Amino acid sequence: MWDRVFSELPAFFGYYNMLFLTKAALATICLSAIGSVTGLISGFGLALVRLTRARWLAPARWLALLLTELFRRVPFLVTLMLVFFISQLSGLDLPLFVVALIAVFLIASAYLAEIIRSGLESVHKNQWDAATAMNFSLFETVRYVIVPQAWRVILPPAFGFFVLFIKDTALASQIGVIELTFAGKVLNNKGFPAALVFGTLLLIYFLISYPLTRFGTHLEARLAKTRHR
Amino acid sequence: MSSILQYGQIWPYLPSLAAGAWLSLQIAFLAFCGGLLIGTAGAAALSFGGPVLRRIVRSYVTFFTNTPQLVQIYFLYFALPDAGILLSSYAAVLIGMTLNAGAYLTDIQRAGFESVRANEMEAAEVLGFSRLQQIQFVILPHVARVLFPSLSNQYILMTLGTSMAAVFGVEELTGRAFNINSQTFRSIEVFTVTAGFYIAITLVASVILGLIGRFAFRARMRII
Repeated sequence: MWDRVFSELPAFFGYYNMLFLTKAALATICLSAIGSVTGLISGFGLALVRLTRARWLAPARWLALLLTELFRRVPFLVTLMLVFFISQLSGLDLPLFVVALIAVFLIASAYLAEIIRSGLESVHKNQWDAATAMNFSLFETVRYVIVPQAWRVILPPAFGFFVLFIKDTALASQIGVIELTFAGKVLNNKGFPAALVFGTLLLIYFLISYPLTRFGTHLEARLAKTRHR
Repeated sequence: MSSILQYGQIWPYLPSLAAGAWLSLQIAFLAFCGGLLIGTAGAAALSFGGPVLRRIVRSYVTFFTNTPQLVQIYFLYFALPDAGILLSSYAAVLIGMTLNAGAYLTDIQRAGFESVRANEMEAAEVLGFSRLQQIQFVILPHVARVLFPSLSNQYILMTLGTSMAAVFGVEELTGRAFNINSQTFRSIEVFTVTAGFYIAITLVASVILGLIGRFAFRARMRII
């Protein structure tokens, strides 16, 4: 096994393979980054809807609850397949990258909505009451009182989620999105030894994910220190 | 007759999907138990082990938590045969998931071990508890209470993670969904029903784990 790996080394680390892998790695990062950021925005929307109290908004609250609970209980692969087939059947014929992006967005919205909701609820109830007493609307309360305090609680787990999704987007290779894992499969099919290809893939994922994980830990320690009620 | 959303056509396949769900639960359970064993040993090594052992365990955790489980299993399934180790797809998935779970559970349990305060241990020592008694009466009840919510959360995530086995042709829930899809071409119907199965099995698991946590370990967790 080893002699084969070593004999293929120079060919494998050629210019075009490296270019291919770099582009694929960029696709992986874009997929999880764009998905997480858009998911953060819609998750914030979902969390806000769940905080409303007006009676006429009850159906919206139910819908938000349903979305967050359901999408957190469906595997990413199944969501991906559903989005993929719906995109095909509806005749929209979206590019595969967009299909994967929508799937990441859906799952990210659900998970981040839950993270944001618990972050917003971590602000002491007195602050909510004080804002209500000063006749702040829900939007004003969140904008001027809650978010300035809650973002420290929300950011570290949200960032952790983003790093988690860099790894989970490996499944997008199943519908043919050209990201890191798919690139690995292509190179393996071209005849490079599996140990070399998948070993390199593991290394690349590690090199992307590890610094981000370290940064997340740093962020958590940094933000927790200055947190007060 | 409309050509979309013909759930009647996949009705006969429901028992097959249910059997797949059972296999998913089985994989999740086995991998979780294996991971719990590795995780307990790993967390114990991090807390009580020597510097070399700690370093090894920490590298294991860092490596497995920073690489995708899918690629880890690819490596086991496609690279190991070159070295003469031929794994069936089921074995590769199970081993990959167990190793992956072991890393995450080491991390989770280390936090639990650290939450036992030195005062508690000193008090136990003063009372003349042996090492085994300390573990049984002081560490375990405390750790179980703190850890149970994160462990059950991890279990739910792992149940969802078993869908990855479909990529390797294991006939669990998602794998069967792929098969039924290629037989009937009722894609949306098949995958919505599959999603429903996943929602059902994780909801049941959440409720059971929540009840156990509340009443057996006095853990603070939501039942639903």
